[in-house]
Amino acid sequence: MAAGLIAPVGGNGWLGNAAALACAVTSIVCAALGLLRWGAVLERASTLLGALVGAAAPPILLDAPGPFGTAAPGIWLFLAGWVLILWRALSTLSRLPQRGAGALAAPGVFGIALLYLWQVLVVGFAVPQVLLPTPTQVGHVLATRLDILWPDFQQTFLKAVLSGYAIGCIAGFWVAVVADRVPFLGRGLLPLSGLVSAVPIVGIAPILVMWFGFDWQSKAAVVVVVTFFPMLVNTLAGLAAADAMQRDLMHSYAASYIQTLMKLRLPAALPFVFNALKINSTLALIAAIVAEFFGSPILGLGFRISAEVARLNVDVVWAVIAIAALAGSMFYGTIAVVERACTFWHPSYRA
Amino acid sequence: MKKLTLIGAAMLALSAGLASAQDKLTLQLKWVTQAQFAGYYVAKDKGFYKEAGLDVTIKAGGPDINPAQVIAGGGADVIVDWMPSALATREKGVPMVNIAQVFKRSGMELTCRKDSGVKTPQDFKGRTLGVWFYGNEYPFLSWMDKLGYKTSGEGNSVKVLKQGFNVDPLLQKQADCISTMTYNEYWQLIESGMKPDQLLVFKYEDQGVATLEDGLYAMEKSISDPKMADKLARFLKASLKGWDYAIKHQEEAVKIVLDNDASGAQTKGHQTTQMLEIAKLVEGGKLGYLEPAAYERTVKTLLTGKSDPVITKKPEGAWTHKLWEAAQK
Repeated sequence: MAAGLIAPVGGNGWLGNAAALACAVTSIVCAALGLLRWGAVLERASTLLGALVGAAAPPILLDAPGPFGTAAPGIWLFLAGWVLILWRALSTLSRLPQRGAGALAAPGVFGIALLYLWQVLVVGFAVPQVLLPTPTQVGHVLATRLDILWPDFQQTFLKAVLSGYAIGCIAGFWVAVVADRVPFLGRGLLPLSGLVSAVPIVGIAPILVMWFGFDWQSKAAVVVVVTFFPMLVNTLAGLAAADAMQRDLMHSYAASYIQTLMKLRLPAALPFVFNALKINSTLALIAAIVAEFFGSPILGLGFRISAEVARLNVDVVWAVIAIAALAGSMFYGTIAVVERACTFWHPSYRA
Repeated sequence: MKKLTLIGAAMLALSAGLASAQDKLTLQLKWVTQAQFAGYYVAKDKGFYKEAGLDVTIKAGGPDINPAQVIAGGGADVIVDWMPSALATREKGVPMVNIAQVFKRSGMELTCRKDSGVKTPQDFKGRTLGVWFYGNEYPFLSWMDKLGYKTSGEGNSVKVLKQGFNVDPLLQKQADCISTMTYNEYWQLIESGMKPDQLLVFKYEDQGVATLEDGLYAMEKSISDPKMADKLARFLKASLKGWDYAIKHQEEAVKIVLDNDASGAQTKGHQTTQMLEIAKLVEGGKLGYLEPAAYERTVKTLLTGKSDPVITKKPEGAWTHKLWEAAQK
């Protein structure tokens, strides 16, 4: 950890920039204090403070005109040292009790640090905006272009993804139940659905656009095709999950097929069903966005990506990517929360 | 002694061969291999590039390939692109410059089904119109702006579809009108069974919203580098020679294009019609010369956008005659 206190070397006018110098020195002092064993809280606080204050120094330096990149090794050396201080701060944070806000502290700080490094490196090495925009540019787009991004989100996520997801999952579920009941159907349907699911999205999307038109209905159809098979396979596996002893017990109670299904086999299949629902949540979004590349009204996340990348507005593309990633993770997270509520009895939660 | 002489002679020959190696140049086309780019394929196959000491690699374009992006990323030395897309990209900070204007006239048009009820551009309100994007939407958006139609956002007066690179939306009545080129998609409609009297065509030239199309563009730093500028001038000379030959020997040009079509998707009949239509767009005036008046007309069309102008300020240094003049020598 002592190596983390690399002194700044050379650089582009350290002494000419008082604020930056002050930040740098303070951060080194704080980090040094963090090394002394004064108790967990003080150690944590001073290392974090060191990291925070140290983070302020490079942007102040980069604000000045003049070429950076390889011409200013001092900044990069300082940044390397700062990364080590950050590492220390993160390890102290991860020792917090993993509940509530404490659990989010280390990942949160790590995420923010990554964004910070992205910003500093792109600005420092003068990476052209058409190759990689900075997080501030992406954030600016998110803040100012909501007038086009919100309708895009509605078109893709709220209309195409949600309806396609619902239809695909329900269809997959019921076909699995039927296939379980009528074995010869199961033997026939499984390879057939496997075949359908193996068709790439770029193949079926134009065909479905021709059948269902340009609007969100064809994208929903693509989502249905993509989500059907994982749901089918997982539900079938889930229905086979109730073991022989349990089924024998129901038989000894003179339970009918429907009773056995509703009281034993479906609840036992729930973990598998939720597994499929979680897989499908991210697949559905990807499928809808890709399908929009093949014909859409001038609305939608996929359309926005393809149109703006052709116009070299790469910051808008990144903003759309950020929205899609956020939507996908929140969708997944919602299903995970529902799963927790429904399958709390499963060993994976009881551990 | 004899062996040594032989080896020595062989090495000399080899080095001489290496010394006379041709200058390499990469051309990125705007679309797939078709008669639209006949001049370049003819120049390659008839040896005009070789005569000029150039080894030219012609990269075909296609869906998802934006030539302006290719040259910005360093994937080509010279590209074929349309002026609106080039000027918009220039405004984004990519310093590309027009070195020749091959197509004098615009081939873009909006083709409508007569049975949709559209008779004049004033009937477009509330209709579904299709246009390709990837840089081809600028002339269309300018025209809609000129007519006073909003194409997106709240209260849009025309519904715009991002059409794929086929004519199905019109055949399947998913759109009232679609964008077509005089030399390509219009004939695809005819070939798929539609009759000319079922279609109503609005040519951008007739509507006064035409913008300059296929031209050759290179980066500013290529033009200011003397070695590269010389290569480009030789390339231009050979390419214009190729175009001249292609227009005068259309059947042979079609054969050369078909020979170079790696996908095998093009047919002789379609390419023959295309070559005929392309010749109409190229000929007249000085071959490859960018008329400043035509350039100004295009810039004016692009600037007069009420809500969403394609470019926001007049471009500076977006074209040069330097290489064209060098090619005339």
